Amino acid sequence: LSGLKGLVGAKSLTEEDIKPALNKMRDHLIAKNVAAEIAERLCESVSTRLQGKVLGTFNTVASTVKNALNDSCVQLLSHKRRVDILRDCLEARQQKRPYVVTFCGVNGVGKSTNLAKVAFWLIENGFRVLIAACDTFRAGAVEQLRTHCRKLNALHPSDTHNGQKMVELYEKGYGRDAAGIAMEAVNYARDVRMDVVLVDTAGRMQDNEPLMRALAKLIKVNQPDLVLFVGEALVGNEAVDQLTKFNQALADHSNMETPRLIDGILLTKFDTIDDQVGAAISMTYTTGQPIVFVGTGQTYTDLKNLNAKAVVQSLLRG
Amino acid sequence: MVLADLGRKITTALRSLSSATVINEEVLNSLLKEICTALLEADVNIKLVKKLRENVKSVIDFDEMAAGLNKRRMIQSAVFKELVKLIDPGVKAWQPTKGKNNIIMFVGLQGSGKTTTCTKLAYYYQKKGWKTCLICADTYRAGAFDQLKQNAIKARIPYYGSLHETDPVVIAQDGVEKFKKEGFQIIIVDTSGRHKQEDSLFEEMLQVANVVSPDNIVYVMDASIGQACEAQAMAFKEKVDVASVIITKLDSHAKGGGALSAVAATKSPIIFIGTGEHIDDFEPFKVQPFVSKLLGMGDIEGLIDK
Ligand SMILES: Nc1nc2c(ncn2[C@@H]2O[C@H](COP(=O)(O)OP(=O)(O)OP(=O)(O)O)[C@@H](O)[C@H]2O)c(=O)[nH]1
Ligand SMILES: Nc1nc2c(ncn2[C@@H]2O[C@H](COP(=O)(O)OP(=O)(O)OP(=O)(O)O)[C@@H](O)[C@H]2O)c(=O)[nH]1
Ligand SMILES: [Mg+2]
Ligand SMILES: [Mg+2]
Repeated sequence: LSGLKGLVGAKSLTEEDIKPALNKMRDHLIAKNVAAEIAERLCESVSTRLQGKVLGTFNTVASTVKNALNDSCVQLLSHKRRVDILRDCLEARQQKRPYVVTFCGVNGVGKSTNLAKVAFWLIENGFRVLIAACDTFRAGAVEQLRTHCRKLNALHPSDTHNGQKMVELYEKGYGRDAAGIAMEAVNYARDVRMDVVLVDTAGRMQDNEPLMRALAKLIKVNQPDLVLFVGEALVGNEAVDQLTKFNQALADHSNMETPRLIDGILLTKFDTIDDQVGAAISMTYTTGQPIVFVGTGQTYTDLKNLNAKAVVQSLLRG
Repeated sequence: MVLADLGRKITTALRSLSSATVINEEVLNSLLKEICTALLEADVNIKLVKKLRENVKSVIDFDEMAAGLNKRRMIQSAVFKELVKLIDPGVKAWQPTKGKNNIIMFVGLQGSGKTTTCTKLAYYYQKKGWKTCLICADTYRAGAFDQLKQNAIKARIPYYGSLHETDPVVIAQDGVEKFKKEGFQIIIVDTSGRHKQEDSLFEEMLQVANVVSPDNIVYVMDASIGQACEAQAMAFKEKVDVASVIITKLDSHAKGGGALSAVAATKSPIIFIGTGEHIDDFEPFKVQPFVSKLLGMGDIEGLIDK
């Protein structure tokens, strides 16, 4: 952004003063993989906020714009309701019921893998986990989860946990109705006193109406404690459409006054994008929901919390 | 239709040329702005978009242009040319040869659709009468072999893989050897998902490529990918000799523009597109008809040649 150091005197900023710097900033955000529409809206709000302000003596328009954008983005990513899963799991345990999380999203984004990472994290925190294999469509989906259960149990053998098996798979093979299997799994978990049920679902495109309807049904009949939308950091402008339509489908097909919508986002493949971190902005901007976890690799420990400041630093760098 | 939204926006922008009374720099700038916005919203790489804008502008020089020239037509044709350039690397698509074994290796980012598309491609050739088979050289992802096996069994395609061997290089080599001996004509090797940031995964890809000596390396791209596409596609191309691109998940709302930068980065043509999870949700891809469909125009070639 050098070359933008056009100094403005001590007069207050007009839209025209800000425009060139803001245009560059918008292109910069797009290059960092923020959805075009959202980059535009972010810049507009910065422009509105800066108009009429007087520039500090040593500040250029460019640096003023950058600072304002920095603040907007940090706020966007951090000023959010906190999702405290561990606390909520404990509370559910006291109520003698399992805490239920549903993972949903489009195809191949990392739902099942990151579900396994969340399972690992919960086990490490002393919770017993039931994984519900509700992707009854994609080839190998059940075996994928079975493999994860075996590996997780090997990492946390029952003899180190008072003889208790820390993770189990609830599966009914392929072809059956996902909502029904989820319900059976929750009932089973309640009966055998498992603490958490993690519900894996099949990937689906947001425009595929029958599949979206089926997901809405699963969520409606099971009323999970947490609906996590899994999205990959690689996604471009499509992020906006995915989240909007998942929420819309959950609302439209629920026939309820206050339908269950997406409660939070799990942002995957963060290790594959260098500093093109824009999807984090697009997704939070679109839903107003927090990024609960960030997936940073393919092993169980590659699950992190979002560091808003660091992400915004990457976003504005270069 | 695939990329329909983008096509509509571009044609609308071009149509505005006909309604303008004079064609001057201002008109051109606003046209280019509209087209570039549409491309960016479709995830086309921002550097490619900037280049497109510059290239069109460099063709149309209002000061030098003779008065009688048809500026509308020149602008339209310059835009068309640039759009075709985005999608068409100018390289002929690879075709299998009869009477020998053709080895095709699939590579790409995690979850892009390799395993699913492997079976689709095998099925496509099988229906055309080729003797085809599948090899699972992914020992990394949980359930990878089960996935390929279940797909292959359903499509009645012979397959090879191992639940015990942990080295994908060994599996790939053994599988190819076995199927060559058995006279298979199209041998498709599926590999793990990987990304440029992890050297060991890229090294493994190179080793698999070295032992199977593929005739065609296919880079599989997800249509919803954004600006990170270029760097990843470029890195794959630098490591192994990518020769073709397949874009998957075009049944989504995704405009697929991000994946197009894989064409530019790998200088390889798109040979097929995936349009669903089922085995026959798969179509061969041809550049010219695609662009004309995209822009709702019948005679692009005619336009471009003038
Ligand atoms: N590099 C990287 N790869 C990841 C990450 N999370 C998941 N993956 C990989 O992405 C691929 C797809 O992951 P899955 O968990 O099968 O995705 P899914 O969303 O369940 O896929 P479907 O059920 O088929 O829709 C696998 O190869 C994972 O190892 C991540 O954070 N980083
Ligand atoms: N809707 C749709 N889904 C697709 C398409 N192609 C693949 N998929 C889905 O995308 C997900 C990931 O596909 P895979 O074939 O497992 O991807 P992969 O590249 O082999 O994944 P890794 O081996 O983990 O890297 C699965 O849910 C597939 O069913 C497509 O064209 N359309
Ligand atoms: Mg899955
Ligand atoms: Mg695979």
